[in-house]
Amino acid sequence: MWRFALWQVGHFVLALVGAGLLAAAVSAFAITNATQGMAAFSRAFASRAAAFGTGHFGYSAIVAQSSSDLVLKGLAPTLTLILWGALIALIVGAPLGIVFGRGPARRALAPLIQIVAATPVFCVGLGLIWLAVHYAHWPASAHGDAGAALGLLPAILQRNGGAIASGFRLLLVPALIVGASGAASLQLSLRRAAAEAGDAPYRQGLKLMGLSTLEIERVYVAPQVIAGVLSNAGEIVLALISAAAIAEWVFDWPGDAVLFVKSVALRDWNVAALVLLLFAVIKLIADLAGALAARALAEPERDA
Amino acid sequence: MSAHANPSPRTAPALRAVIRAIGLIGLGGIAIAVGLADVIARAPVDAIGVGPSLAPPSQAFPFGTDLLGRDMFSETLHALAITLGDAIVGALVAVALGGIFGFVAARLPWRIGDGLRVVAGILAAVPALLLAILFVGLTARGFAPVAAGLAAAPFAFARAFDRARLLGASHYAQYARASGIRSATLLRRDLAYEVRDNFLSTVTRALAAVAITLATLSFFGFGAVPPARDLGLLIASARAGFLDAWWTAACPAFTLMLLILCARLAAGLDEGERP
Amino acid sequence: MSERILSISDLTITRAGLPRPELENVSLTLDAGETLLLLGESGSGIPSLMRAVMGAGQSGERVSGQIQFAQSTPGVKVRHGESALRIAYLPDAHSEVLSPHASVLSQLVRILARKLDLPRATASEELRLTLARLEGAPPLDAFRAGTVEAMALSWGFLALAIAQTPDLIVADHPLPDSSPIGSRKFTAALVAEQKRLGFALLYSARRTLVTTWLEGRIAILRNGRIVEEGTVGRLSSAQAHAYTQQLYKSLPMVTPQVPLPRRGSRGEPVLQVRGLELSPPQKNVYRARETVTFDLRRGASLAWLGEENSGRNELLRMVLGQQEPAGGRVIFDSVDVGILSQAMTARLRRRVVFIAGDDNVLDPRMNVRDTVEEPLRAHLNLSRDLVAGHCEAALKRVGLASLAPERAVAALSRFDKRRLQVARAIVTVPLLAVIDEPQRGLGPLESAVMLDLLRELRAQEGPAFLLLTANFALALALADEAMVFKDRSIVERGPVGEMLKAPKDDYTKALIAAITPVLPSGLPKAQSQG
Repeated sequence: MWRFALWQVGHFVLALVGAGLLAAAVSAFAITNATQGMAAFSRAFASRAAAFGTGHFGYSAIVAQSSSDLVLKGLAPTLTLILWGALIALIVGAPLGIVFGRGPARRALAPLIQIVAATPVFCVGLGLIWLAVHYAHWPASAHGDAGAALGLLPAILQRNGGAIASGFRLLLVPALIVGASGAASLQLSLRRAAAEAGDAPYRQGLKLMGLSTLEIERVYVAPQVIAGVLSNAGEIVLALISAAAIAEWVFDWPGDAVLFVKSVALRDWNVAALVLLLFAVIKLIADLAGALAARALAEPERDA
Repeated sequence: MSAHANPSPRTAPALRAVIRAIGLIGLGGIAIAVGLADVIARAPVDAIGVGPSLAPPSQAFPFGTDLLGRDMFSETLHALAITLGDAIVGALVAVALGGIFGFVAARLPWRIGDGLRVVAGILAAVPALLLAILFVGLTARGFAPVAAGLAAAPFAFARAFDRARLLGASHYAQYARASGIRSATLLRRDLAYEVRDNFLSTVTRALAAVAITLATLSFFGFGAVPPARDLGLLIASARAGFLDAWWTAACPAFTLMLLILCARLAAGLDEGERP
Repeated sequence: MSERILSISDLTITRAGLPRPELENVSLTLDAGETLLLLGESGSGIPSLMRAVMGAGQSGERVSGQIQFAQSTPGVKVRHGESALRIAYLPDAHSEVLSPHASVLSQLVRILARKLDLPRATASEELRLTLARLEGAPPLDAFRAGTVEAMALSWGFLALAIAQTPDLIVADHPLPDSSPIGSRKFTAALVAEQKRLGFALLYSARRTLVTTWLEGRIAILRNGRIVEEGTVGRLSSAQAHAYTQQLYKSLPMVTPQVPLPRRGSRGEPVLQVRGLELSPPQKNVYRARETVTFDLRRGASLAWLGEENSGRNELLRMVLGQQEPAGGRVIFDSVDVGILSQAMTARLRRRVVFIAGDDNVLDPRMNVRDTVEEPLRAHLNLSRDLVAGHCEAALKRVGLASLAPERAVAALSRFDKRRLQVARAIVTVPLLAVIDEPQRGLGPLESAVMLDLLRELRAQEGPAFLLLTANFALALALADEAMVFKDRSIVERGPVGEMLKAPKDDYTKALIAAITPVLPSGLPKAQSQG
């Protein structure tokens, strides 16, 4: 396990350095004359890479703020969306994956899942807005302020009814969009892992040897399925981030994902580079944590 | 080419063949409709005032009209042609640079392939949508189909690379090498079987993924360049008024879904391509 | 009169899409303390019969007839829970019955605890005591790893079965082909435990030799029907049915009249190995590294005799360049392989062929024709007609001419895959043929055919043979000289015939004993060529 963990951490560090270099390359475009030939770009890249190494991520070309300040400001709204989305994904995606993961249900409902999976996230978003506005008279936009939504969790803890209601109205639909995308990714991972474990010959073998089906599923199959999902955590996180970008755009949500889109549109490369780095780091952390957790769960020697 | 680190949930072969046939027939139908767009559509591209403003779907205007009185059916058909054409370009880029190059890179000498795999892994750590936005931002909106293909390529590259390595380390490959079969022959053999077994599903899966990315790019304003409008841009332009005139967004959205669905079905229910 | 443990009457199993039933009107009985052996080849229906007895029918199978256990209600579908009998299952160690994601020990202990309703610590202790009692079995600690070699796993399964003090053991060819000495000890332990505990034994055997080590009745099955039934003693000496006679002919019978293979040291050396170092058996134990030096001349045949992990496969990997040797040189066709580029090595190895019992030499995606034609197309510039002609002739020689050339390798039977390997070897006209357990997993008649094909390959194409096997009879049939590997060192080397007459090392003696059938009187037969 330790050797595996060290290998994974090494892999993580290497990928982190690579993501930093990628972000530095994007940031290099912010330097004047960087696009005038390979030599100029190389110089700009080297200078930005050195700056990234010392934690200086540059300034926005649009507003008079450092990139890190801007990104930090948008981090909480984006993370709020992603975390609530992840919660919804878990609540919706896990049962779907379990129900559709095996046997006749999988065969019968696979085409249906395809239809759902064929819906682009922004179309889901527009559909949900239409429903929310027409049937619940909820706001279709956060109008650039997600304060009430950010306060939802503290409001729940403090049992503040009014704050819960306003936060809920603001957060639910965007979080549902992110959650739907995460649920689709989660159920797919779950179904893949279940399909792999379902075909394993040991299920029949252990039954012949005298274990009950329930015990085989609980002790040997379930950890494998969960490990399969965990090892795919990075992909699920990527689906959540992509969906967050769309939800933030559709709802005028002041998060980092939409900040990236606007930065690229306005050629604000320092900010775009930092957001890119941030998302890559989140994905890489999810990959590392998922790989370690999966290994801990599925290691052959764990119960020797 | 198609390479799952984990196997996809697969259906029974007979059902799979039927579903694949339905998908291919659907794609063929869409291609015919697109080819005959000028004949089927009652109005040319961007023709204003064909009907009344914001008329709901009716016999005369099956998809209704928009604010400027454009026939949404005709506009959707013209937009579908652009989306499909761009998606095919993007899918070919993704398959060539991702699948095929990834497969070949795994067998390159002097660890060149390993270096490329690391780069692909880093690029794959960024959501494909954001990567496509970045590529378009660094180039131009007209570059969107290639950008969408390039954005899908790292993930496809990583999968194809890992698959090729797995095949290269198989017992039969080792025995073949030990009996004098050259690496180039083995690569040709592997490529031939991958193309035979997985090419169609890989291309159609990539088509679905790239179509989603392209439509979303246009929705964000990074895709099709006006006056040409693809399905994403059509939906984006309906955003301001769709709460009152749902058909302006819903009809292009359903058409987009139909295209993606047919592509996914043609892939034989193989899932896992990253949108 | 002994208690009737199992009674099968008119059992018929059909499967949708198959022209004939997998099993047809089979009736058998088994009493307490008795052994019933089932012997047959692929297509005999024995796997279906064993599944039916264990209540593990596959989807698409239709079962009719009656399987009745002692103290259970007659019925077609019998589940263990419905019987008051204690039934233990002894599976094939290669059949992946255990999860690869948990230690073997934890799974064995869990099964025992569940079957005996014991705490896991007690079950573990029970298993340890049973293993200690079984002569030749590895200790409990050998099962702590995620993967355990096949013979050790068989011992684990046996201990698990014995620890349950069963009324009936259902053994589904539990012996790995690669370990004859272990197999011999295993069957001896099984017989001893049967005498001690008095359980009934239903034993499905793949090799005729194994049946001679056990006492009891034997049923010969072919195409889903019983063709002959009798005691092991009677069938070993006189067989009524022609098929049974063929099966018994495949025993490694040995008669002094058959001339022993001549000692081969003709022609130039095709393979020279100089001081290749084998790694020690355990990492933490210091031992001087064994170095291997030998010459294999054109047309000669050398056997590397030894069981799993004896070091022979490691040496092969080094010879093939798949593993970097710690020291030494490999000279192929007078060229030092170590100093050549990859392209040059590939060119040099064009006339090396492999025939392996794991069938993983063949690419499962390729079809029959491409598999045979590939060496011709890759190495020679021949016309399409000529290539097709060579392919057809080779397939005809191995008896696969009727096989559709477009058929995928993955869809072939084990025997067909094995013969296809020989066909591929024939068209190559090899200088060196590396043959690794060529009879693994084959039935008695299939093994005999395989042996004939290999002899013919040697006679007609004249390659040097490098044979890796644990089967002394096979070495005797195919090799001139042998090197005996044990614990990653060579314990004996010399002409195979002389080794048979006067084995020097105990391990060589054990290898010879492991291929010796036991006569009804209990005395070993005289030794001769198989």
